[in-house]
Amino acid sequence: MSRRGTLALVVRQEWRMLIADRSLLLVLGLLVALITYGFANGLAEVRTRDAMVESVLQAEAKAGRSQLERFDRIASGQELPSPFNNPANPAIAGNGSGRQAVLPSAALAPIAIGQSDMMPNSYRIGTRSKVEFMYDSEIESPWNLLSGHFDLSFVIVFLLPLLIFALTFNLLSSERESGTERMLLSQPLGLGTLALGKLIPRAAPLLAVAALLPILLLLAFRSEAWGAGWLLFGWAALVLAYGLFWFALAFAINTLRRSSSANALMLIAGWTILVLVMPVMLNLLVERLHPAPSRTELSIQTRAIQADNLRRYDDLFSGDYRYIDEPESLQAKDGKIEIPARTMASFLARRDMDKRVDGLLDGFDQSLAGQQAAADRLSFLSPAVLAYEGLTVLAGTDGQRYLTFRQDVSQFHDGWRARFEPLIMNGVAITRPDLENLPRWQAPPHDRRGAARALGWYVAVMALCALVAGVLGCWRLRRYTVA
Amino acid sequence: MLEAVNVTKEFGPNRALNGVSLRVEAGEIYCLLGANGAGKTTLINLFLNFHQPTSGSVWINGRDVASAPIDTKRDVAYIPEQVMLYGMLTGLENLDYFAALATGQRQPKDHLVALLAEAGLPADAVDRRVSNYSKGMRQKVGIAIALAKNARALLLDEPTSGLDPSAANEFSQLLVRAQERGVAILTTTHDLFHAKQTGTRVGIMKRGNLMSELDSADVSHNDLEALYLQHMRD
Ligand SMILES: Nc1ncnc2c1ncn2[C@@H]1O[C@H](COP(=O)(O)OP(=O)(O)OP(=O)(O)O)[C@@H](O)[C@H]1O
Ligand SMILES: [Mg+2]
Repeated sequence: MSRRGTLALVVRQEWRMLIADRSLLLVLGLLVALITYGFANGLAEVRTRDAMVESVLQAEAKAGRSQLERFDRIASGQELPSPFNNPANPAIAGNGSGRQAVLPSAALAPIAIGQSDMMPNSYRIGTRSKVEFMYDSEIESPWNLLSGHFDLSFVIVFLLPLLIFALTFNLLSSERESGTERMLLSQPLGLGTLALGKLIPRAAPLLAVAALLPILLLLAFRSEAWGAGWLLFGWAALVLAYGLFWFALAFAINTLRRSSSANALMLIAGWTILVLVMPVMLNLLVERLHPAPSRTELSIQTRAIQADNLRRYDDLFSGDYRYIDEPESLQAKDGKIEIPARTMASFLARRDMDKRVDGLLDGFDQSLAGQQAAADRLSFLSPAVLAYEGLTVLAGTDGQRYLTFRQDVSQFHDGWRARFEPLIMNGVAITRPDLENLPRWQAPPHDRRGAARALGWYVAVMALCALVAGVLGCWRLRRYTVA
Repeated sequence: MLEAVNVTKEFGPNRALNGVSLRVEAGEIYCLLGANGAGKTTLINLFLNFHQPTSGSVWINGRDVASAPIDTKRDVAYIPEQVMLYGMLTGLENLDYFAALATGQRQPKDHLVALLAEAGLPADAVDRRVSNYSKGMRQKVGIAIALAKNARALLLDEPTSGLDPSAANEFSQLLVRAQERGVAILTTTHDLFHAKQTGTRVGIMKRGNLMSELDSADVSHNDLEALYLQHMRD
């Protein structure tokens, strides 16, 4: 009889046994529950984030409207200008009409919370110093695997392997222990066929649910997912490759002819190393390789510069009291405007601040970029880290996307201040069209092509890991003896 | 049909078989006798490729087991000392699976039920879970599996262990009928009487060596017993 016919017999038999002892049903039920729960958590998180971005944009629009209204009231003489709220003053408009730079969530964002809860999704751009809005909080290490979020990426990366173990730790050892191995192998049945026939009815339903159920949930509850196109296939490919790796590992361990409990122990040990220990070690390594500059150093320097600025612009900061008696002098005339000394001083102090800590801030950025680059390379050491990376890339919550966002924000901020600086220095008044046509933040789209390229690599490497484990197992099978 | 050529098998420092050669022709029932640990099971295991010989070779139907481990299994049926089955399935379901593996296709239910009856399994046990079977009942399912295979050679490792006397007797008759059809049978046993009764040839093993072979027709039961005990004493 053909090998395929024998394989079909084994598959049918195993299927029957899995149904009879309810183990498959139990594991599948658990997987469905975990996926649903993880997806609901991810979705809730994304909705919160989306709502936050939305409210930030509304605040921006509202601030813009109130600036225009005040501009009109002052221009028409309904309201007297004060030194600190006249939108015709470029030093005021530069901050008061500041933009919100936001990073909208990607189509498949509910897959992984990733960096999204540690890195800001919006920055308010104005004439403030970068120290005040971009370097005001600690930036964490590139991997966030152990963050305690129960999202889809957690279910896939952490829990799916455990469910796979539940079905495979005794794949061959159970036959050996129950004595049926002798009965089976006295028939014209190769060990490879037996193992494959036992793997198929376990892997097929488990991986089908793991790969497809989240796609269905995404399509049902996140309308943006319909536009994600082949990224959904990317998800499925990643989950399949990752799942197959663990199935292959379980198979390989079963070929060592140890007891079921020894197999379970080895699998858990492997899981602990690849899923728990390696990410922590790699994080430490990445931080050691690209240490962030001292934050204390930054705050000492910032304070010194602040004190310095107070001295340098002392006369400017202490002026302006005459405006209380003659507010009309704050009105724009013939395109010119008197810039109140305090607002000028405030602008200059912040500009100087950025100029003087530039090197230090560069140090932070370089350390972050270096960490990210090292992380990208080192993640190939553990399929679990790779899978996590891949899932965050799909979700648009990966470290790289947030770094790019920061760079864009920094550039936008530079451009914004450069636009206002000559107006402030030369006392040029802001006109109404100026105010209406200030540049807007263009939210960067999720780079799907880049995501695709990265994902292709991850899937290929994981498939290779699965292949290596599978080949090692097959090689061991040649020396397999029956107890 | 079955042939071992100068087979040695070592488990680490322990030599379980020491240059054993034997042949079982079609239509022969070859009974292997020997004390516990003599190497009987080890020899049978080599025919099934459960272990590989340290040196020498084993042949089934003219084919080297080492070079065709799967194909050679088409020609032999095997009943171990303890037939172990899937406890969650019934006797019939177990037979269904193993018979399909043995023959390459699933057998009709009537045929399987008839085989179980022929092996002596009570009809009311056929649809019960094997986890509730006695040892002898499992053994009978094992016999039915071997019958289903309808192979040209039988490898039997104390096949009647656990069978009650009448079942053992029926099994002997089954063997004789198979022998008459030209099946080659290699069986191990501790039962000298049975060996003399059903066997056509008898081999006596001791510590991995095949000490002597004789035609059972040539010796009386008493002579066989004396010879056996003498070997055991030396
Ligand atoms: N898998 C194994 N690993 C190590 N030693 C083994 C193995 N199988 C058998 N042996 C050893 O080989 C020798 C022969 O054992 P075997 O099982 O062939 O004896 P036997 O004649 O079948 O005995 P019994 O009458 O008790 O069934 C014994 O010393 C045994 O300990
Ligand atoms: Mg034995």
